[in-house]
Amino acid sequence: MIQGSDLNFRADQPALDVEGLTVTYGKEPALWNADLRLDRGSLAAVVGPNGAGKSTLLKAALGVVPRVSGRVRVLGEDPARRRRLVAYVPQRTSVDWDFPTSVLDVVLMGTYGQLGWFRRPGRKERALALHSLEQMEMADLAGRQIAELSGGQQQRVFLARALVQDAEVYFMDEPFAGVDAVTEQSIASLMGHLAHRGKTILSVHHDLATVPRYFEHAVLLNRAVQAVGTIKEVFHRGNLDRLYGGRVPAGVPDLAPS
Amino acid sequence: MSAPWVDLDPTLVVVAAGTTTVGAVSGALGCFAYLRRQGLVGDVVSHSALLGVVGAFVLVHAITGSASRSLFILVPGALVAGTAALMLARSVSIRTRLNDDASLGVMLSIFFGGGLFLLRWVQRQSPPIAGHTGLEDYIFGMAAAMTRADLWMIFALGGGALVVLFLMWKELKVFTFDPDFARSQGLPSRLLDTLLMGLLVAGVVIGIQTVGVILMIALLVTPAAAARQWTSSLSTMALLAAAFGAVAGAGGALLSASAASLPTGPVVVLLATTIFLLSLLLAPRRGVIARARARRVLRDVPPRAAGGAS
Repeated sequence: MIQGSDLNFRADQPALDVEGLTVTYGKEPALWNADLRLDRGSLAAVVGPNGAGKSTLLKAALGVVPRVSGRVRVLGEDPARRRRLVAYVPQRTSVDWDFPTSVLDVVLMGTYGQLGWFRRPGRKERALALHSLEQMEMADLAGRQIAELSGGQQQRVFLARALVQDAEVYFMDEPFAGVDAVTEQSIASLMGHLAHRGKTILSVHHDLATVPRYFEHAVLLNRAVQAVGTIKEVFHRGNLDRLYGGRVPAGVPDLAPS
Repeated sequence: MSAPWVDLDPTLVVVAAGTTTVGAVSGALGCFAYLRRQGLVGDVVSHSALLGVVGAFVLVHAITGSASRSLFILVPGALVAGTAALMLARSVSIRTRLNDDASLGVMLSIFFGGGLFLLRWVQRQSPPIAGHTGLEDYIFGMAAAMTRADLWMIFALGGGALVVLFLMWKELKVFTFDPDFARSQGLPSRLLDTLLMGLLVAGVVIGIQTVGVILMIALLVTPAAAARQWTSSLSTMALLAAAFGAVAGAGGALLSASAASLPTGPVVVLLATTIFLLSLLLAPRRGVIARARARRVLRDVPPRAAGGAS
């Protein structure tokens, strides 16, 4: 199912290179002339108000929504040619958790791409999936029905499914939303661990207060990318005031003065 | 002393084989319609099939001058009408502010109304079109009219649908559970969506002779809903739904053959509904009784101990 996938990339290529990207749903532009460049090993949060196009940015980078104009490159290639190197963690609430399947089955879906059409996952894929579940401390729940999971466990399953893909670039849509404190910590340390190994993470994040704690880079997005850089460079009161129209929620700590 | 099956009327064997296959195929396919919440889509396809069936009859009569109610003519008609209704509904919901359900509802009304209208027109022709009697049976179904050729058509379309389902199992599963993720893996979602629609149309089209266009939706959704009560594995669910559908189909054929006044289609649907109601009540964990019992256990636990349950 992976067409023309290319596993080779140069180490100096940016993980994600977006130029003049415009995406529309109907007549409303979701993204308008967005530019973004992320180096490999970046651990970046996408922040911005509702309707800023955060999820759309991920989907455009995955090559799953049509672009009106602009260019997207993942590790120097079109997203369609980089599927093997990209993992996607959709919003937890985007699926029906009452679907009749088990934890291990969902994680195995992460191996489908490499298996290709018609082939079924076998022993090797099961071992990989179990290993990913172990990393998320979910191995003892492998046989559990997904309907019986808590929010935090659901998110761990989604992350295990991304891990099994053994990707270079990880796109995550609000992985911290509605999870318990323990899961929040283990997601944060997983992200740090991946970034430390040179993997790139671009994650939509809503809680401004925790951005400096969990991320090294920030992408400030409102239809267009307003700023991108390290937390220190761009995540300050002036930029955030501009991003949220002067209504930055109270309780955002460790903001450097602008 | 002869074994009981030797006494079976060969016509009944054809009918029972047909209704059993129809039940099994729509049970298995219905799981995907059920899980994708597309029951209404199946209903639109089956109701529009009436216009397709009568339209094909009229068209063939106009071209060749002869009237035929062979499934080889009526099935393509139903396929075309069902697909057209779905495509029109989709383009209406994309181009207007009507939502998906409303545009599906509109198409259902237009195509079913059109089918009834055309049927009435055919029936009122003078001189009467020879062979038109029986067309009205597609509204409520007339399994007894099933011929050997019809049975082959059911085997071919139903078997084909099941083979596709088996081959594409993992793709259809991930696409049904998490379409965005499936797309991110490079799966062609448009193609899979069309494929699932096509399978649904095939299942509906072979079923309408048995249960009719109005009750067809019951045969798609009820076995799937019943099976979901018993299992939390998609493959078991599909097998179980196929088995429930087959039992309802076979039972309906045999029951209605044993009592002259029983119509096959409604009996098949009533049997499927009975299986569903029993599943709803009796299934472990999901069943009404099991859940009531679980609630009572929780209530009887002293409040202190219940506090930390997760």
